Amino acid sequence: MVLKRTESSTVGDAGGETMESIECGAEVAKEFAFRDGYRNLNHGSFGTYPTAIRSVLRHYQDEAEAKPDKFIRYDYPKLLDESREAVANYLNAPVSTCVFIPNATTGLNTVLRNMVYEPGDVIIYFATIYGACEKTVDYITETTPAESRKIEYSYPVSDQFLCDAFEEAVTAIKAAGKVPKLAIFDTIASLPGVRMPFEALTALCHKHNVLSCIDGAHGIGHIPLDLTALDPDFFFSNCHKWLHVPRGCAVFYVPERNQGLLRSTLPTSHGFVPLPKGEGGFVNNPLPPSGKSAYITNFEFVGTIDNSPYLCIPAALEWRSKLTWKGMKGEEAVMAYTHQLSREAGKTVASVLGTEVMENEEGTLGNCNLSNVRLPLSFGDIADDDHRKAVKVAQWIAKTLVEEYNTFIAIIFYGGAWWVRLSSQVYLTAEDFEWGAGVLKELCARVSTGEWMR
Amino acid sequence: MNGLKTDEDGDATGTIECGVEAAKHFAFAPGWRNLNHGSFGTYPLSIRKVLRKHQDDVEAQPDTWIRYTYPRLLTTARQAVSQYLHAPLETVVFIPNASTGINVVLRNLVFAEGEVILYAPTTYGAVEKTIDFIVETTPAQSEKVAYTLPASDEVIVAAFEKAILALRKTGKVARLAVFDTISSLPGRRLPFEKLTKLCREYKVLSCIDGAHGIGHIPLDLTELDPDFFFSNAHKWLYTPRPCAVLYVPERTQSLMRSTLPTSHGFVPRGKGEARSPLPPRTNGDSEFVHKFEFVASVDNSPYLCFAPALEWRSRITFDRLRGEEAVFAYCQQQAREAGKVVAEKLGTGILGDAVDLANLCNFANVRLPLSFRDDAGGDEGTAIKMAQWMSEALVEKHSTFMAFVFYDEAWWVRLSAQVYLTMGDFAWGAERLKEVCALAKRGDWKSG
Repeated sequence: MVLKRTESSTVGDAGGETMESIECGAEVAKEFAFRDGYRNLNHGSFGTYPTAIRSVLRHYQDEAEAKPDKFIRYDYPKLLDESREAVANYLNAPVSTCVFIPNATTGLNTVLRNMVYEPGDVIIYFATIYGACEKTVDYITETTPAESRKIEYSYPVSDQFLCDAFEEAVTAIKAAGKVPKLAIFDTIASLPGVRMPFEALTALCHKHNVLSCIDGAHGIGHIPLDLTALDPDFFFSNCHKWLHVPRGCAVFYVPERNQGLLRSTLPTSHGFVPLPKGEGGFVNNPLPPSGKSAYITNFEFVGTIDNSPYLCIPAALEWRSKLTWKGMKGEEAVMAYTHQLSREAGKTVASVLGTEVMENEEGTLGNCNLSNVRLPLSFGDIADDDHRKAVKVAQWIAKTLVEEYNTFIAIIFYGGAWWVRLSSQVYLTAEDFEWGAGVLKELCARVSTGEWMR
Repeated sequence: MNGLKTDEDGDATGTIECGVEAAKHFAFAPGWRNLNHGSFGTYPLSIRKVLRKHQDDVEAQPDTWIRYTYPRLLTTARQAVSQYLHAPLETVVFIPNASTGINVVLRNLVFAEGEVILYAPTTYGAVEKTIDFIVETTPAQSEKVAYTLPASDEVIVAAFEKAILALRKTGKVARLAVFDTISSLPGRRLPFEKLTKLCREYKVLSCIDGAHGIGHIPLDLTELDPDFFFSNAHKWLYTPRPCAVLYVPERTQSLMRSTLPTSHGFVPRGKGEARSPLPPRTNGDSEFVHKFEFVASVDNSPYLCFAPALEWRSRITFDRLRGEEAVFAYCQQQAREAGKVVAEKLGTGILGDAVDLANLCNFANVRLPLSFRDDAGGDEGTAIKMAQWMSEALVEKHSTFMAFVFYDEAWWVRLSAQVYLTMGDFAWGAERLKEVCALAKRGDWKSG
């Protein structure tokens, strides 16, 4: 029996257990704290969390101020372990492989900055790598012997195309007498927002002895994940994007076979174990002993920050377990609802604009909560084929959405056209995207009159 | 919580007298005595209100706030920092904490063979670990300057100078010196102004770990003129965690290529600025300032509490003093007296036979009545175990925490003075210390 939620409290069923269910769409929307009719059509960038989770977050923050040393030194590690266990179960990974870090960018930096590179080592990455990640690769190639190789292509392409391109890159690198050391690829790319064939790519990495470093920024809570089956060498995912956990919270998965490669956290902190020094002097560690592996202990305390978001994992999973849709409940309901809404959103917006959704022949790019729709604007007519002008147009559209329409939609200039990336969510409905389509149509008309130039 | 808590909804303009009145503004659990403010700091209820307002604003309109509102608010916050530390606006950015600060500096510097990182012997553990990491992964070597506390300022400065010169004799060069404004454990104010001058004289980069700095002692970065400086505002300024400032004068900014982690603002050599999903750089921010504006997704609201924290402090009174003056005077006096009182009750002494009035800060380090030989068998590992046991015993049995450090074959408690504490708190603390030391002497730590 599914019970409807009341305003103030949950309702118990005959079995004495508190049950609560919240239907995806308008009902779930009440759980969030958007203001003044703001329509959050870009959940994908920064995520957000329901007020129920805000209460949990603030509870831990209050505990920290109630007894700072007690909470931070003694209570927090135990709570952290509970969160680690919850996230490990969720991802079907051993607890010993999971730690928390603030965000995916830190994950990539932790991996790349710990690796020891020899001349000839090559880092492979794909064209749609997230900007900050590409910058990190650039930084590494500037400061270490490592080189990089970018696999270039323009969407839409098939999954097979990407796999073939990857194998070609690996082969070419080896033929040049170099070593394809590590490959970076997404579960779901950011801009455009498309699902990548990450399972197949990981398998290819295994085949060719290349370290697989998966940027799963858009991953946990977005698509089903089984890290034991996937077996990547490194994987990180933002819980604050799609798991309804507050910023900044990301899970960092490293199988035990690779943990020795990551000597230091970022920044380096108390848990770093230096190689034995001459005189055997000890470095004072003011924290209580943890009794856990050196790797886990290392990530337990990485400089003073607010760790409360890490502790919200169990509560977020519990909240999601209450969501319903068409007789489904929990994770099943969340993903089914958002995936179908994303497809519908894309269709609606494309239809209203008279354009198309970015999709390959197999229809795999949109197997997620993101859909990308082309705007009916001509690069030549609007921006004189000038890329910098095109970026300015995009920035104007973004700013106008915020200033005049009380919403935000992610927009990029890609492949010679402007594309919007729509993010579906449990608090959105088809109507939100119908509205969004109308707004975009209006904005494109305004762009066409040259308003963006003034 | 008792009903005496103020400031969340009440009077936000009146003065606040140090001591019992100030205590009402904080959110400690009933009975908790916060005698170790120095480790993690804390913040008053009115600041929590500011923090939560910002956090609510973010979730009300995430993209709007993060992309468009936050940069403006951040600039305003940086202006407050610039004024407070007397540093040009273009030299100060926010980072989460001092650990990030030392990592930004050391990981960006490119070290050559023969270059050495000098550092003070009481360097914070995580900072020393960072230096170890750099030594392991770059050509840099490191050298710990030799002196033991208690030591006068002259001895400390001489030790650094000696180390610099000794390196020269062996054909190496001190590239960088890392030293604190106030060391952590034990907590002692260093002659950091003289050390900075010394570095300048010998062309050694000065990297000041001011973790204990902002809000703890007056600072003038223009006069000090270090090459690198970072300080935790969340320790002594009453901002929430995490909130720290990184100061890099324009002459050394070019050495700081990347934030930590590397993010959108990094400008690769020879590639030009790659596409960034964030709004364009406005208000004339330099590349240095811009790259620290957005360093991956975190909650940046604590940074925006810097100015409100200054405003709260301006309401503090002590005798006829007000604001920063009142805070410094009250805490320094309390540290001096607390050290005396606790040492008397324990029958021991403070680190440094006499209080060095020139180096007053909010810390007092008092020796515990335990014997390294008799109680720990002369074994360092045992001594540390005992200290850890005592910490945990305090927390479990007595609703307080005090920072212990095993240093120079003795245990020391580092007391932190604060505007919300009174001498009564330290007298109480002394009694608890007596109790827990007695238990430690009895050997209770062996079973735990």
